Amino acid sequence: MDFEPTYTPEQEEFRQDVREWLAENVSPDIAHPPDSINITEEQYQLRRGLGRKLGEKGWLWATAPEEYGGGGLSLDHAVVIEEEVDSYGLTIPPYYDSGGRLGGASIMVWGTDEQKQTFLPPIFRGQVRTWQLLTEPEAGSDLANAKMSADRDGDEYVINGQKIYVGSSLGCDYMWTITCTDNEAPRHQNLGWFMIPADLPGITIQPMELLISGGESGAGSGVKNTVFFDNVRVPAFNLIGGENEGWKVATTHLELEHGTGGRIGRNWLVDHLFEYCRENQRNGQPLTKDPDVRDKLIDIYVEAEIARLFNLRNYWMRHSKAEITYEGPQASYWRKMSGLRMSQSILDILGPSALTFDPQWGAAEGHMEAHQRSAIVAIHPGGTADIQKLIMARRIGIGREVREKAGALA
Amino acid sequence: MDLALTEEQEMLKTAVRGFIQVEYPKETLLEMAAEEQPVTAEPWQRLVATGWLGIAIPQEYGGEGGSFTDAGVLFEELGRGPVPGPHLSSCVLAASAILEGGTEEQKQEWLPALARGERILVPAMTEASYSWAEKDVRSTVRQNGGGLRLDGTKVYVFDAVSATHLLCTARSEESNEVGLVIVPVTADGVEIRSLPGFSWNLAEVKLNDVSVDQDSLVGSSFARGWDALQRAIARTIPVMCAYQVGACQSVYEMSVDYSRTRIQFGRPIGRFQRVEDHIINLVNQLDAARWTTYETLWKLDSGKPATDSIHLAKAVGSAAYYQACNFAHEVHAGVGSVTEYGLTLHTTASRTLYHYLGDPQFHRRRLADALSL
Repeated sequence: MDFEPTYTPEQEEFRQDVREWLAENVSPDIAHPPDSINITEEQYQLRRGLGRKLGEKGWLWATAPEEYGGGGLSLDHAVVIEEEVDSYGLTIPPYYDSGGRLGGASIMVWGTDEQKQTFLPPIFRGQVRTWQLLTEPEAGSDLANAKMSADRDGDEYVINGQKIYVGSSLGCDYMWTITCTDNEAPRHQNLGWFMIPADLPGITIQPMELLISGGESGAGSGVKNTVFFDNVRVPAFNLIGGENEGWKVATTHLELEHGTGGRIGRNWLVDHLFEYCRENQRNGQPLTKDPDVRDKLIDIYVEAEIARLFNLRNYWMRHSKAEITYEGPQASYWRKMSGLRMSQSILDILGPSALTFDPQWGAAEGHMEAHQRSAIVAIHPGGTADIQKLIMARRIGIGREVREKAGALA
Repeated sequence: MDLALTEEQEMLKTAVRGFIQVEYPKETLLEMAAEEQPVTAEPWQRLVATGWLGIAIPQEYGGEGGSFTDAGVLFEELGRGPVPGPHLSSCVLAASAILEGGTEEQKQEWLPALARGERILVPAMTEASYSWAEKDVRSTVRQNGGGLRLDGTKVYVFDAVSATHLLCTARSEESNEVGLVIVPVTADGVEIRSLPGFSWNLAEVKLNDVSVDQDSLVGSSFARGWDALQRAIARTIPVMCAYQVGACQSVYEMSVDYSRTRIQFGRPIGRFQRVEDHIINLVNQLDAARWTTYETLWKLDSGKPATDSIHLAKAVGSAAYYQACNFAHEVHAGVGSVTEYGLTLHTTASRTLYHYLGDPQFHRRRLADALSL
């Protein structure tokens, strides 16, 4: 076993290139505020700019095929890039791009070659930002109950309906969404996925007021929106996977959203918290010297270590094409529930200073206050904690008569 | 990055699994548990004859000279039984203590004998004021003519009933240092009494004015004993954790099978989400134990600093085995508590391994120290 990438001299040279390039191209003004709702247009554009530059170098979607605008690089190169970008506290891409990540992977599996040629290069080169639109008022955990309709009319589909908990602040270029392509057909045989240009007439975006915008992806999204579709005419070419074939596309999309993609990198929250507790005093000594605080910090550390190892294992399983069953939703479930447990430990350690981002009385520049909210909200995106358990049970082979297989990945 | 086992390790895994299925079927394990006798008759002798138990002992001393991960593969399979016996205490922990602290003569004398199972050397470490701290070692040893004399009571000694020799921690009356002294169980003044109840192969060991030769002192010096033992424990914990991983895996498979075949209310109980919850909690504990253990084995094999990982793996792994058994009992309900079914073999083992070489809270506190908190 080897828990680290093996770096060849060539890779170490590559790391030097990446480091130098990042040092030249990452602006110090790029840091996110603790609550991503406070991200400014300027910060966002800095991140998009960095995404475009990474895309040009083939470092944005490093392992995606070159013929579709990806980097065509090896996993070990991708790991080097992720590690170096992570050291800036950034993710890849360095902005919220759920539709690019999940839609791109789904098109890789289910798109025609012409569709791949059309939709993938802008994603892989960082030229577009894409939102995913799945949830509806009547279709949350039960995604197959999506009712937003797509009716064929000549060379186009006409889309009507509503999606909620969508996207981010500051708009997008494309929308990756699931619709109902046949009201009469049986469940799971009535769906279709579309890649929709966001500037089509009939699309209205309305921000939602939420406790915080959650998300597990690392790149904060800011505001979430309701999106209304009112007779939006979309070229039939933009239907991915075929009419009424949307559920099979969903299995790929959901496989990745449920944690199978895996992740490498640190938990910055734990770093922030440890640093805060080393540097701040209570009763004349650092917080870390209080035995109760130490016990709680270890509770948090252990939770985070298990999450890190599950993510790392999934990253390896996905890239080595090992057979995956329940591991994706397991990692997602663990992240969600351990996040919530960690937030209670943080509240125990810090008291009410974890509940305010007041510059004088809030702990760690507001990061802890944001976590108190986001740990709660993180229970639902990408499938609730309960849905993760439901899928685990099916994959283990106890939830249904026939053991469910993992969704297809490229 | 590659989290798979090597081809050789996969072969070892398959071979050990096959061996245990044949030699340690449930009926044998139940008999051994009921007898409260030394577990070193058959099939132990056939296990020893495979040579596998020398996996943690270097080849130059008659062992297999395996890596930590190799040892992990072997012990993970033993844990599936759970196969009892002094494989961990004698062949890994005591052997490591001799390796870390013994003189060259002691290594030559003891390690091949331990690898071949000719002698079984069981560490006797804890006492009445149960703890893993040096200050709590109250047993004494003093110079007596050309030899040593020991007095004291060791309690909760894992595998003592299987031992031919005991590796005792004892405090020198002359220097106040804690050393390691090898005591034959046949020596006058040694009394071993198995502890009844829910404990798994635990015993009381009384040392009443026991005389041993001077060369029974490991490393010929009291000063070297305690530190050598700590290094040996650090080497042993990841291997023990692998045993717990195999045990959790076995408990998990047992529970999944039962939830698929037990019919109530007209359907397999695994379809009930309350029951699914137990299985999911169980597999999460299993995998937490698995990956904290594997990463630790890998760190040791690749020469990386591993102190924090060792404490993490033990804290997570022992709690995981304990919890896994609890979840399995929730899935199984009545049948789980029937001895003949076999789950209680694990439940019993999980409680003793919970505290052996330090319980989860002990290791969490050591982890805080290791992280410089």
